[in-house]
Amino acid sequence: MKTTAPANTSVSKPMAAEIPFNKPSKLKRMEQFKDLLCVIPALIFLVIFTYYPIVDLFRISFTDWNLIKDTYTYVGAKNWIWLFQGSGWDTFLQSLKVTALYTLGELTITLVGGILLALLFNRISKPFSAMRAIVFMPKYIAVSTSAIVFLWILNGESGILNYVLNKLGFESVAWTTSEKTALLSVLMLTAWRVVGYAMMIYLSAIRGISQDYYEAASLDGANGFQQFWRITVPLLSPTTLFLFVTTFIASMKVFQSVDVMTEGGPYGSTQVMVHWIYELAFKDFRVDRAAVVSCVFFIILVTFTAATLKWSNKSVNYDS
Amino acid sequence: MSDSLLVDHKKAVFRRRLLVALQYTVAILVTLIILFPIFWMLISSVKSSEELLAPVPTFWPKEWHFENYLNVLKKAPFGLYYFNTIVSTAGIMALQLGIGIFAAYGFAKGDFKGKNVLFLVVLGALMIPIQVTFVPIYVMCARMQWINTFWALIIPNAVSAYFIFMLRQTFMSVDNSYLEAAKVDGMGRIGIIFRILCPMCKPTLLTVTIITFIDGWNSYFWPKMVTTNESRRTIAIGVAMLRNTFAGMQTMNNHEIMAGAVIGVLPIIVVFVVLQKYLLTGFSKAAMK
Amino acid sequence: MKKVLAIVLAAALALTTLAGCSGGSTGTAPASSSSTALTGEDGGAPTADQFEVTEPIEIEWWHAQESQYAETIDKVIADFEAQNPNIKVNAIYQGSYTELNEKLIAAQAAGNTLPALVVANTPYVAEYGASGLCEVLDPYIEATGFEIDDFGEGLVASTQYDGQQVALPFLISTQIMFYNKTMADEEGIKLPETWDEMDAFMEAASKDGRYATVFPGWDQWYFEPYYLNRGVKLVNDDQVSTDLDSDLAIETAQKLKEWCDKGYAYWAYGTDASSIMRQNFIDGKTFSVMHTTSLYNTYVDNCDFEVGMHYYPGDVTRDSEVGGCVLLIPAKNSQEVKNAGWKLLSYLCSKEVNMIWASESGYMPTRNSVLQTEEGEAFLAEKPAFKAVFDNLDNINPRIQHPAWSSFANIWKETMAKSILENGDIAADMKNAVTEMNEVLSDA
Repeated sequence: MKTTAPANTSVSKPMAAEIPFNKPSKLKRMEQFKDLLCVIPALIFLVIFTYYPIVDLFRISFTDWNLIKDTYTYVGAKNWIWLFQGSGWDTFLQSLKVTALYTLGELTITLVGGILLALLFNRISKPFSAMRAIVFMPKYIAVSTSAIVFLWILNGESGILNYVLNKLGFESVAWTTSEKTALLSVLMLTAWRVVGYAMMIYLSAIRGISQDYYEAASLDGANGFQQFWRITVPLLSPTTLFLFVTTFIASMKVFQSVDVMTEGGPYGSTQVMVHWIYELAFKDFRVDRAAVVSCVFFIILVTFTAATLKWSNKSVNYDS
Repeated sequence: MSDSLLVDHKKAVFRRRLLVALQYTVAILVTLIILFPIFWMLISSVKSSEELLAPVPTFWPKEWHFENYLNVLKKAPFGLYYFNTIVSTAGIMALQLGIGIFAAYGFAKGDFKGKNVLFLVVLGALMIPIQVTFVPIYVMCARMQWINTFWALIIPNAVSAYFIFMLRQTFMSVDNSYLEAAKVDGMGRIGIIFRILCPMCKPTLLTVTIITFIDGWNSYFWPKMVTTNESRRTIAIGVAMLRNTFAGMQTMNNHEIMAGAVIGVLPIIVVFVVLQKYLLTGFSKAAMK
Repeated sequence: MKKVLAIVLAAALALTTLAGCSGGSTGTAPASSSSTALTGEDGGAPTADQFEVTEPIEIEWWHAQESQYAETIDKVIADFEAQNPNIKVNAIYQGSYTELNEKLIAAQAAGNTLPALVVANTPYVAEYGASGLCEVLDPYIEATGFEIDDFGEGLVASTQYDGQQVALPFLISTQIMFYNKTMADEEGIKLPETWDEMDAFMEAASKDGRYATVFPGWDQWYFEPYYLNRGVKLVNDDQVSTDLDSDLAIETAQKLKEWCDKGYAYWAYGTDASSIMRQNFIDGKTFSVMHTTSLYNTYVDNCDFEVGMHYYPGDVTRDSEVGGCVLLIPAKNSQEVKNAGWKLLSYLCSKEVNMIWASESGYMPTRNSVLQTEEGEAFLAEKPAFKAVFDNLDNINPRIQHPAWSSFANIWKETMAKSILENGDIAADMKNAVTEMNEVLSDA
């Protein structure tokens, strides 16, 4: 992730240092300008369609707008006080807790489940390659659609899962409608969607590890488990970091599956942050408060991600 | 001596075979579990409503009700939905490629002041969900008279921070000596991008392009907001609309909902099966950086 | 390279124009053209000419009536277009009431993508009215002589905000108890007329695995009449507090829980709650359910026994509340669009159209001129179960209107569901919730 991370894939050669020019000639400045021009269009779009809205939300957070009125007044920090010192705080904490739990769940599924499946499916044969494709596929099926299918499978009365549980001698579970299992239900959909993707990424990284390491280790008498723990896991750390960061960001933003499966309920047990923001704006007609929460949430996301990247620069092993 | 060695050898062979058998069993089991929701969707889509709600579920339909599909197709113009989805997805792909490749080059190989800070701007954009920011964007689109047009479906999605991020990671893995050599040969920036970087990073490029396609196909929230009539609705909205509640009551047409889901998912499954080998290679490159 | 430069310049240009445009967008007042219509052109009384549609125009009507009503809508719109050759109507289904609300709000914020006419679920009227989304309809009613007095008082009141008519009743329903009439006749079950008779009814109507009734806990609308009829105000006169922690309210909550605990009834809650409840009634697993009259036809079509309707039991009062949807005209539209919208609105709310809906669904006839004449008798002959509603028409009241009602109701129903389903101490739970509810009310 750091701009100067050493190259390590097959297309690269292990010498990358740029030759520093001493005098910044006019030519060089022109070149720099052209490089800058390459990124400008993308930045313009991001500024218009991503950053301007956030700035606008920041402004709205100081008003009493409800999205419908034509006029509004600036009310100072009233909405910020509502969040940090008023009735918003408890809900915020609850929502943050739910979001963190969900994120933890998705991270575990991705990192642990992904590695385990990668080891399981690491076999070169036709049937295995077909099975890998099947496990990988759900990632690309629309969440809005797969959530509907899962609702149907998890249906408390006529769902197939409860039927199977009953046959096996277990009680029916009110999957999406009980406080205890609602988040788990959403995570089941998540697991189904992401585990194959994580597996594929880990698998290609595992295959990139040189066999020499393992041969040396077995000469030293290390067993399979030790080899996995001392060689595979450390050498996979760049992949793990990649998955960690991208999964972290994606799971903190989860919305669609929750919206379809539980609408944040029951009793707020799946009220993840983005869904709460959405309900504040549209159910409670409090876009001013939604704006405050959005700003705070954005800051939390940026801080966490930056901290992860900073920490990872020190501890991730790039020398495979 | 040799006997015991042989026994040891036989034992080892047996153990290895047992492990392989175990690996097969578990792998098949996992695959079946993952496959089940798709199977269940297909099966449910051809059952009758009564069979669907029967207390004892059937794993194979007693009667095949293919008319469920006809009923769904009658309810909404799915042909038009397909057309809208294809056009808007193609537009998004073209723009994301065009703008994204240049940006990825700039951030990976460019040399200008503030490069890292500007790259943070890209990374930051990854963290802002549309559900939070869509009102200002909607207002912009409305001002431009874009509602119910392809513009509104395409333009706000013209740049993907994720696309740039992935491509930049791969471009960075290309050694600078190639670029220097090309420069010496008198190749310009555009030449370097399209004749050196892109061919060398073809797997990632293919991967992110396919993902852009699939994401465009599947996107639901934004298209729902900017289409207020049938003329530009996309397939994902069509499917979700089948499942609406009225007066606080869930409709009980799961067979038709599942048929709609199949109609929406089928093209993606086809694309996946045909292109799946490209879906993988690119990822692994970016992920190992 | 030149190409890149051109792209950049074009994009930069786009940025400045966009930023320029949108800067004021969510800012203050893109002035609406509505206020001029409130009085006549010279300040006098409005005249019918002023609201006439003279030029051909195409308008949109957004609704939430799903596919089973598609034919009715097509038919009604075709009739309207035949009568008004100048107006072409696009009736567009926008999804559920919630989704419709999202789209309407987004369109309102943008100002130029609004439909000429839109359906809204009754609880939204207060917020829309307070925020000036709706065109005030009084001048139109006055000028065109629309017979508003033909609606029942409760219906008129529920479409007003602050004394002004901001909407008109379209598809109206109320809370009702559907019961298995065949079963009632066979077993001689007496339906409860008062709160005090509920205990006896619960015991009599439930037996080995069959429930006496089901409380739809997913929407407080279905159980709030029990509170209101016993004298609980829900929102106190001061508008900033609730009396849901009064002894009476707590006792009511405890009673509801007791019936569920004893297995007489169950509390329906969660994503599939309403379809499960309906299925249980169809399968005879419950003697009765509480639901909305609009679903009458759905129940009748699916049950192989006779379906009866029974008005909720009373206590101090015996009232119910208005449900369903109303029609309104967004105020930001141009006067031409609003005029065409009004034409369509007054047509859709007319007696003829209302009767079409009433006969093809469970929505109620809304006109006094129907209810109190032979027409009403003819309707009752066709749907005898509706006698329960007709007998109580004067008791159908507007819903409680408060800007924070939706958040308030949300806390209430979640607390009830949690306490009843997870066997909490409902008195303590309600008292806790009331603290939060008071905050919500006073915060609005």
